[in-house]
Amino acid sequence: MIRAYRALMLALTGLALLGPVAAAQAADARRAEAELISERTSVIPGETVFVALKMTMDPGWHIYWRNAGDAGLPPQLILKDSASIAEDALGEMMWPLPKLLPVVDGEIMDYGYDDEAVFALALTVPVDAVGEVRIEAVADYLICESICIPETADVSLVLPVGEAVENVPAGELIGAWIAKVPGSFEGEARIDDAAAPWTLSLSLAGGFPEGAGIRFFPFEHEISHPADQPQRFGPNGASLLLTPDRAGQVGDALEGIIRVDAPGAEPVGYVIRAERGEALAGTADAAFVPVAGVGEVAGLSWQGLLSLAGFAFLGGLILNLMPCVLPVLSMKALGMVSAAASGHAGELRSHGLWYTGGLLVSFAALALVILAVRQATGFATLGFQLQHAPTVAVLALIMFAVGLWLMGFFELGSSITNTGSGLASRGGAVGAFSTGVLAAVVGAPCVGPFLGAALGAVMSQPAPAVMAVFLAMGFGMALPFLVLSFVPGLHRVLPKPGKWMDTLKQFFAFPMFLTAAWLLSVLADLAGAGAVGWTLAGATALGFAVWIGRGAGPVRRGAAIAALIAAFALPAVQANVPAGKAGGEPSVPAYAEAAWSPSQVDALLAEGRPVFVDFTASWCASCQVNKLTTLSSKRVKAAFEAADVAFLVADFTQKDPAIADELKRRGRAGVPMYLWYPAGTSEPQILPELLTQELVIGLVEGR
Amino acid sequence: MQITRRHLSLAAGMTAAVALTAGALIASTAQAAPATGTPAPAFSGVTSAGETISLADFAGKTVIMEWTNDGCPFVKKHYAAPPSNMQTLQNSAAADDVVWISVISSAEGEQGYADAVRANELTASRGAAPAHVVLDEAGTIGKLYGAKTTPHMFIITPDGKLVYDGAIDSKASSKVADIETASNYVTAALADLEAGKPVATPVTKPYGCAVKYK
Repeated sequence: MIRAYRALMLALTGLALLGPVAAAQAADARRAEAELISERTSVIPGETVFVALKMTMDPGWHIYWRNAGDAGLPPQLILKDSASIAEDALGEMMWPLPKLLPVVDGEIMDYGYDDEAVFALALTVPVDAVGEVRIEAVADYLICESICIPETADVSLVLPVGEAVENVPAGELIGAWIAKVPGSFEGEARIDDAAAPWTLSLSLAGGFPEGAGIRFFPFEHEISHPADQPQRFGPNGASLLLTPDRAGQVGDALEGIIRVDAPGAEPVGYVIRAERGEALAGTADAAFVPVAGVGEVAGLSWQGLLSLAGFAFLGGLILNLMPCVLPVLSMKALGMVSAAASGHAGELRSHGLWYTGGLLVSFAALALVILAVRQATGFATLGFQLQHAPTVAVLALIMFAVGLWLMGFFELGSSITNTGSGLASRGGAVGAFSTGVLAAVVGAPCVGPFLGAALGAVMSQPAPAVMAVFLAMGFGMALPFLVLSFVPGLHRVLPKPGKWMDTLKQFFAFPMFLTAAWLLSVLADLAGAGAVGWTLAGATALGFAVWIGRGAGPVRRGAAIAALIAAFALPAVQANVPAGKAGGEPSVPAYAEAAWSPSQVDALLAEGRPVFVDFTASWCASCQVNKLTTLSSKRVKAAFEAADVAFLVADFTQKDPAIADELKRRGRAGVPMYLWYPAGTSEPQILPELLTQELVIGLVEGR
Repeated sequence: MQITRRHLSLAAGMTAAVALTAGALIASTAQAAPATGTPAPAFSGVTSAGETISLADFAGKTVIMEWTNDGCPFVKKHYAAPPSNMQTLQNSAAADDVVWISVISSAEGEQGYADAVRANELTASRGAAPAHVVLDEAGTIGKLYGAKTTPHMFIITPDGKLVYDGAIDSKASSKVADIETASNYVTAALADLEAGKPVATPVTKPYGCAVKYK
């Protein structure tokens, strides 16, 4: 390492001595390639196009965000005097969503990019431009691995002036990176700095995605960059605990971006400005959860994993009290009463161990299933069982069956509540093991709401981390009864068995039925009333199976098994038929969006509706900017909806002759083009290439 | 119904456990780095001359601590000759009876790591004039002071108070040319102390390479 480094230093010193002759070779020794690219190969005077500084870093090397964090410097693009444009013709560098670059755990944290980063800039072609637009500049950046090297690169771009000609690949790339630039936050942000740690509360209508990890990146240095930002969620949003820096003070407001990493989704960023004040209501109802792994280049640290596993363990403990678990555990407790009565402490102990084993195996299986789903779909949210209609239907039926069993309608061979005789050692072990499994199965739906955030964070982690967290939770769930079965003093205070145990067992059937009813309501949301009807029919078939299975004989037994299969299979199949409502968040835009055609425009205008046409393409960077800042903003959507605007999209990603004709007819060389037809008109207004929310809302509201 | 009662006490116990854990977690995220205006943390360390020094040895004198790493471009900027910015500061400190301590917190195998021989070589070859060079390869002193970058400067008064924590100057860059136009925070703080005034700018954001801790 040292030798390599010395050799490198020697080489650099040598190059510096050789001077200009070696400059070309020095360029080859750079750790990043810097390049200027443009969405056009040729431009027209007066238009605004997007150019970008594209940085490709060597593996392991990184450059920095606009705020580099504790160490480092952001890259700069400095225009040379030889450029044909004035400095103000180039807009500000647009900073895509950065990653966390932990340098020293808990001590030094940087913010930046590795691999590739594209920084877009708006270029306003001068109205009087003739011949060509020549951008000549120096890219000045600090690039670091374990060591840092300042590098400069001469970059240039020449754009002939004449007609507008797209550079499709470059436009696609710039557009994709502009889409990564944090957009405006459609909610409210507030910073409560009355005491350390500060509370940053973020309200967002509809809340943050389930299992999301949120990280705040400040523009300045008010907060300690390496400190964890424990987060919690409420019905209206989320809050983060921020540790102030030694000299950290909030001026009027705390400004920066938040990065939201939801399981299975691309990370999203929002620019926030948090005014000082009390925390916003409804943003902090659940317990704070430390979030690790948000936007980190490296995986979860050992400490992060340990604290996550610790929380999972506590969550497992608390699961014992969940309404969907408690009845099963009470059955377990009843079994222990029997064992205590028979005076076999050894059996009680093995009972506890078998129960723990059953739970751990089930949680391991659950982790494997989640990992498999993640592998297969690249996506897994916690509580995903409850978003899959057939699973919900089958769970409801299992709850119903358990209720029937608690009521005493049928008996299971190795029942742990077989209170008459003590526990046969074999039956006890199997019984205890299956109680563990059962506790996990009915407990799993409760896991989602309770530890969603923590498990969401681990979801994006390597498989062993997921497994460790799930096993910790299983062990937490098993611990109370494991302790009961090992501490003699504790099981001596267990009550004596008696008839009350049967009564109690029957009573616990009702929470089971209630859970089934709740699952049916979930099912109704997921798959509609039809699926609920089929599940109720399945429950009836279940009852029939129990009734007919009571007698002896192969015919009856066959009928019972057939009814049982039908009871589970039919609802599962029926629930799988997609209903009108999908499991996820409704993503239907507030206003109707339809494909553009001239006849469609005429038809809508004949109806007397105002029409907005968006001529766009995936490779058009300006189009993405307008979409990001204006067209997909809630304010504009609301204004469109209020004025009953028909929103038509003409997608020019694939060359379309009809769209090309329309562009030509309006005197445009390409996209973007925005047409606005006020109600009752036939000729549109052509809007500027760069939209603002104010402009569009003003037009729609007729101001 | 003793089962239910036991569940209740179990619930209370677990709730308390969760609350305690959350509290501890929040408390542990608070940084323990020293604040300016409070006593500077006591430390002792071995120098490149083989002596063991501690902060208490310099009671009655102003102490400047400079975190350094000779491979870091930001450190090179301030040691570049001309204008020999860091060396000039060290010489004038020595003339004013101010104790200048350079600290190397790079771990072995990392950039800037120096054993006593190399540290002395560096001092000689760069024409540097620190009173002591402390070898802190374990990073203990660095983490005690919360040193983040090289360079990162700290000033301690004769009565042991930390009065400056931050960058060497106002231009966060690795270009030697920027030294001339930057305002030097260390010079300014020393002038304030000389004039018997409180340090006007006690905390700035240090810039440079991250300290190469173990």
